[in-house]
Amino acid sequence: MALTETRPETDAPEAAVAEATPAPVLERLLSTGDHKVIGRLWIGFGALFLLAGLVVGAVGAFEQADLGSFDIVDDGIEFVQAQSAVRDLIVLGGLIPLAIGVATMIVPLQVGASSIAFARGAAGAFWTWLFCTGVMAASYLMNGGPGGGVGDAVQLWTLTQIAVIAALVWGLICVATTVMGARATGMRFEWIPASSWGFFVYAIGGILMLPLVAAQLMLGYLDVRFGYLPTQESRLTLLGALDTLTHAPVVYWLALPVLGVAVDAIVTHTGVTLRFPKVVLGAIGVFGVLSMAAEVLVWNGRGRPIAFDNGLLVVATLAAVLPILATLALAGEALKRGKPAMRTPLVAGLLSGLLLLAAAAVALLGLVHPIVSFIETAGDTSIDLPDGFALAGTTFASGILGLVVAASVCGAVAAVNQWGHKIWGRQVDGRLGILAALVAALGGVVWAASMVASGFAGQGRDLSALSEAVDGAEAYNAAAGAGMALLAVSGVLLLVSVLLPSIGLGSQAEPFRGLTLEWLAPSPAPLSNFDAAPVVTSPYPALDATDDGGAQ
Amino acid sequence: MTTATDISGFDNLPEAIPAPSPARPRLLLIATALTSVAIAMGFAGLLGIYIETRAEVIQTGERWLPGSTVIPLTQPNMMAITLLLAGYVIAWAVSSIRNDDQGNTNVALGLTLMLGFAYLAQSAYLMTIMELPAAGDTLARPTLLYALVAAHMILVVAAMAFVAGTFFRTVGGNYSSRDVEGLYALAFFWGVTIVLYLAVWYAIYITK
Repeated sequence: MALTETRPETDAPEAAVAEATPAPVLERLLSTGDHKVIGRLWIGFGALFLLAGLVVGAVGAFEQADLGSFDIVDDGIEFVQAQSAVRDLIVLGGLIPLAIGVATMIVPLQVGASSIAFARGAAGAFWTWLFCTGVMAASYLMNGGPGGGVGDAVQLWTLTQIAVIAALVWGLICVATTVMGARATGMRFEWIPASSWGFFVYAIGGILMLPLVAAQLMLGYLDVRFGYLPTQESRLTLLGALDTLTHAPVVYWLALPVLGVAVDAIVTHTGVTLRFPKVVLGAIGVFGVLSMAAEVLVWNGRGRPIAFDNGLLVVATLAAVLPILATLALAGEALKRGKPAMRTPLVAGLLSGLLLLAAAAVALLGLVHPIVSFIETAGDTSIDLPDGFALAGTTFASGILGLVVAASVCGAVAAVNQWGHKIWGRQVDGRLGILAALVAALGGVVWAASMVASGFAGQGRDLSALSEAVDGAEAYNAAAGAGMALLAVSGVLLLVSVLLPSIGLGSQAEPFRGLTLEWLAPSPAPLSNFDAAPVVTSPYPALDATDDGGAQ
Repeated sequence: MTTATDISGFDNLPEAIPAPSPARPRLLLIATALTSVAIAMGFAGLLGIYIETRAEVIQTGERWLPGSTVIPLTQPNMMAITLLLAGYVIAWAVSSIRNDDQGNTNVALGLTLMLGFAYLAQSAYLMTIMELPAAGDTLARPTLLYALVAAHMILVVAAMAFVAGTFFRTVGGNYSSRDVEGLYALAFFWGVTIVLYLAVWYAIYITK
């Protein structure tokens, strides 16, 4: 039988047509190695899961607005499962992926890399996270999660959480590796833009802390698998795995990158450089170290309560306020010197920084009781402190989380509006972003105020036993539900901000330019980001490229 | 016919030799180090819980492991020696590739795979002779022990996959004396694997 090595000529035109026809959208998304596309996917789906978490959270809070009975869920354990799902969706499904998404999108541009390190790996991390987060959410519907009644579903929940954490850690490793190893020629470590530095510190924090959570979950899986947690009540101990991540000061880590975004927004929209850039980077670094150290301090293993009277933890919580203050003060000094244009990224960035500061400041109230107890023990004296200050184990921590969630959403809004044109080549109407940031801030403040007040009233975090509700708990819960609902609305607005330019809507004119390296890239940035490999000779390369050579 | 002194064929060489391309960033080595840190933190978490739980059980006056359980030292010690030997063999692979000796590099990587397999076989055998039931009604949690041992076995499997990948890339000509990064990364990862085993070895097999 004769074989020919050349194709029949009749095939050639069809092949040419096939080459010219772009691949289907799904195929392009699945096979992409473009960090800008991967970042958008993280942000889009992160916002979606955050939205889902906030909606379920709001529904749960409204359920608690009438404490006479359970209307939506069947019993207390089911209610706790729903609360656990809310926390998983907000933290592992929303806040961390949002941060990774913005980092994946922006960091390579800011440090002058042609792509994110291990681009295919970064894409793999996203798809793994997406799939496993979906399965994790489904496991709750199968009566899994902490306190779950179906053993197999509980095991599925633990395994998918481990996989979700592994994917998140790998996404963070890609970001950190890009900052450490793929910087443009000449870019010193201290010249890294504040946002990229913030994401780097954030990534290192995640790499150090998230495996501790995974270790607890792994043991939880084995305990359920081999019958050590046979009942639904005993399985509630699995709730402890994520506890430390949602308590001050570790919880600040979730919103740490907003400090860098706020600083970059200030520099961009005032057009002036920072007087003490190294101090700003140092403050962000110290803030990260305090969060990470706190995680190690409060990490107590399987489901045991956090020791809030731990002296080092008190010091870490106390000290965490200072680097936030230092960062905002030093960036604020630039704000004072410049003539800022109050554009969306600046407004949202400032709001995010202030919300994080508010979270750290409010958390100080939780230190009063441990400090007074310490003084009483040391001095053998008795100090008359109102009972309300015993805030450990109350809803107080949920209030802090509310402010952190609002700070993160505002930070994401700031980032999408700051660098949107570099990514999509289109800029959405800034009023949409301002509205999203204001609604998020309002929602966060309402959520925080109600839960902090509820904590001072002595309301425990676990309301599955309705008999333990304090006076006024119903009103506090309704207010918290309203706050979460507002945050959910801001999540919708954030999603719209991402979707509009994706479908070709928005202004094509580049609205502003900044001083750091990413502003030298074409807008929208091409696949390899820069027309030629950039060489950096100062912290503000775009300023060097201007006619006056950086006379500012 | 072209002679040794005939350089007319090189007329197209530029007069000024261009600068060499910038050194390739050590992305693989950095990512390996960061991955190793994450893995080490996971192990630190497991070990912390193991040690704390063990201390609590012993404080109550109970035995940590059931009476019928025997943890011999022969296999754990041999496993430690096997891993250390594999670490030495990887150093041989690095040294060979730095001298462009691909043959010795391939032999060293193949030997590392074999030693990794030997470690896994010894671990599995040890599990069978320990007679430690996974489920039980004592305060002790054998699952803690199995979690640590199984996690390390999974780590060694991952390290072996890394060795296999490096082997194929070396055979494919990706690594030479000009680019040793992949083997440095592999050596680092294997080193972390050894250190973590030594921690498990002391916490489980020595202190029992």
